[in-house]
Amino acid sequence: MPSFTMNASDPKILHVDMDAFFASVEIRDDPKLAGLPVAVGGRAEDRGVISAASYEARKYGVHSAQPTARALELCPDLVLVRPDFERYTRASRLIMEIFRRYTPLVEPLSLDEAFLDVEGCERLFGGAEEIGHAIKRDILRETGLVASIGIAPSKFLAKLASDLDKPDGFRILRAGEIRDVLDPLPVSKIFGVGARTARRLEALGVTTVGDLARRDREDVMREFGASGAWIYDLAHGIDPRRVNPRREEKSHGMERTFPTDIDDRERLRLMLYEFCEEVSFDLRSRGLRGRTIAVKARFWNFKTVTRTKTLDYPTNLGARIYATACELLERVPPGPLRLLGVQASSLEDVRTPNQNQLFGDGDLNVPADDVRLGRAVAGIDRLKKKFGGDAVVPASLLARKAARSKEGAR
Amino acid sequence: MKVLCDRERLREGMTLATSVIPVKSTRPAIENVLLTCTDDSLELVGTDLEVALRYRLEDVKVEKPGKALVPARIAADFIRDLGGETVCLEIENEHCVITSGPDRCELVTIDPDEFPVVDRFDDEGSLSIQGGNFTKLVNRTAFAAAREQGRYAMHGILTLVEDQVLRMVATDGRRLAVSNIALETGGDSTHKAIVPTKGMQLFCRVIGDPLEQVRVHFGTNRIGLKTSQAEVFARLIDGEFPRYSAVIPEAGATVIEADADLFARKLRLVANVTSQDTRAVRLSFSKGEMNIFGKSTGYGEASAQMEVDAKGDAEDVAYNPDYLMDGVKNCEADIVRLEYNERTSPGKFTLGENYTYVVMPITIDS
Repeated sequence: MPSFTMNASDPKILHVDMDAFFASVEIRDDPKLAGLPVAVGGRAEDRGVISAASYEARKYGVHSAQPTARALELCPDLVLVRPDFERYTRASRLIMEIFRRYTPLVEPLSLDEAFLDVEGCERLFGGAEEIGHAIKRDILRETGLVASIGIAPSKFLAKLASDLDKPDGFRILRAGEIRDVLDPLPVSKIFGVGARTARRLEALGVTTVGDLARRDREDVMREFGASGAWIYDLAHGIDPRRVNPRREEKSHGMERTFPTDIDDRERLRLMLYEFCEEVSFDLRSRGLRGRTIAVKARFWNFKTVTRTKTLDYPTNLGARIYATACELLERVPPGPLRLLGVQASSLEDVRTPNQNQLFGDGDLNVPADDVRLGRAVAGIDRLKKKFGGDAVVPASLLARKAARSKEGAR
Repeated sequence: MKVLCDRERLREGMTLATSVIPVKSTRPAIENVLLTCTDDSLELVGTDLEVALRYRLEDVKVEKPGKALVPARIAADFIRDLGGETVCLEIENEHCVITSGPDRCELVTIDPDEFPVVDRFDDEGSLSIQGGNFTKLVNRTAFAAAREQGRYAMHGILTLVEDQVLRMVATDGRRLAVSNIALETGGDSTHKAIVPTKGMQLFCRVIGDPLEQVRVHFGTNRIGLKTSQAEVFARLIDGEFPRYSAVIPEAGATVIEADADLFARKLRLVANVTSQDTRAVRLSFSKGEMNIFGKSTGYGEASAQMEVDAKGDAEDVAYNPDYLMDGVKNCEADIVRLEYNERTSPGKFTLGENYTYVVMPITIDS
């Protein structure tokens, strides 16, 4: 028996991927847009990028992560919509709820994408195929949106399957047909094969998944080390990763590309302040705190640097994150920036038990200032939740908030 | 140099010496043991430059006095494995010849002058303590000393002599053990030193007979201890020990009294399910019962009950079970007493007469 059947049992993993999610939400909520090339993204004048494109827009070559200016060149009639993440999040929550009706093993990958493991749910809801159809139907009926679903014995194959018949796809990969489906695909379809690995593989005469699968495992490992074993196994459809419903968020951050390059450090610091306030508020509302703070800066010439610092204790206070971010910004070489971002990582639950210290002077201790600030911030958070995010704004950001809401009204 | 010694006594001495001598050093001379033979004794000297040991074997037969610097570990291993009752050490042509019955080895030696100068114990200004009392204080406190990097001053035991009382204090910043013993003789002087834990452990090892009076000498940057057979020196930690007395609560509003052995057993039971990330057990009290509860996301949860005598509000409180077990295992009375005020304040354990252990609780931000 060929080795790929060794790990391949019955298909039981679903990969559900919403079709052109943001764009579809926009079209659903504004039927005038139906049939038009629609893209969600920032304005070209602001050097925005496309977040999502409808299938009509994709026909012109518009795709996500593309600069809006380029998208408009390709498709002058493109209808550009500014993103409204609140509505996308609401739709996403509904969809995730639908998944959880069928199985508790749901691993969200993003707002519009998730892995589901339906093993053991057969007696309740029928086999994977039936569950897949039911989910697709529920999503359409309850959210008015279309999902593509891939069903396979492993995560890698399920994700591949959902992509095969997109949009409005529904594809089951059974053990017997894996080889036929995998072989003709380009190696870059393998998770973990990026542009560089693909180039190296091509130099060895490997361009398709089939080429890779036919090689000797030892040879691939010699060439690429441990990741060689990984991509070789994937080429055989072997993917031991399980669906992990409790996958923890590893980092949380925010970044922004500016309409024009900014060199003024004072303005950049103000921007950081705004990001830190926002990031810390998100961390607090999700009951998390982070220990590592990173600042990312992209220069006018696209050269990108990141500077990181690990704190002595984890925090979710805007002021603490901001103070650290400012230190880190000092370590970014001078020059006009087109993008700036801040990120908190090494996240932990705020309910993580805290060992109290005997002596207040230890560096392991959270400073008394932070404890006091934490209490004040908890009060402010309550106000924000009751009266809206702009109810309490740091004085130094008042001007920015006003400017932004005017901009939004335009 | 030529000397005949009892194998067992020599082996003991070499074991002590090699516990001090570093395996590898930037100064290779100190990887050796210095043998000094006088008319009636053989002395072994070893040091890692932080602690130093002089160990004297008296019931030896010296045929020719002399001095030699011998590779410590190889010599110790060879002597340990010898079969005969007596061992002969002899220096011949810059080689150390070790013989016992038909077995023999020849080790290269190096110039004894390369060995650092190790002080002699100064009786002047030293004080006398019963050996057993000294080791008791070390054993009561050393476990609480810091082990992790940083916190330099907490890597030792604060040793104080004041008003005819010897006191030792050790802490890692999260728990603290303190104990005193009255000095029978002398001790009019006042001393304060932070002694590295390693040095303290060596002190205890050379105190063979707990009833023997040992002498302790506090120097400006080192402390010395002398027994009938050995002299040990340790370089003091030059740092600021935290102000420990401020963190020991006078008394607590809640007082819990529990059987020490049973408490230790129940703690170990529940601690099994706690993980390294969430090393915590919660103590809660109701109607003369203590409930010990622990859980971790990885393993699950566990609980255990035992009868206790509880007075006061007896608010729920959580601690690291390892810290509690360290203390309760050392409890010298049948009953361990815990006092605290609230779930965030230090817990004060009374583990014996003049023996207090303070543990900071674990709290969970809600």
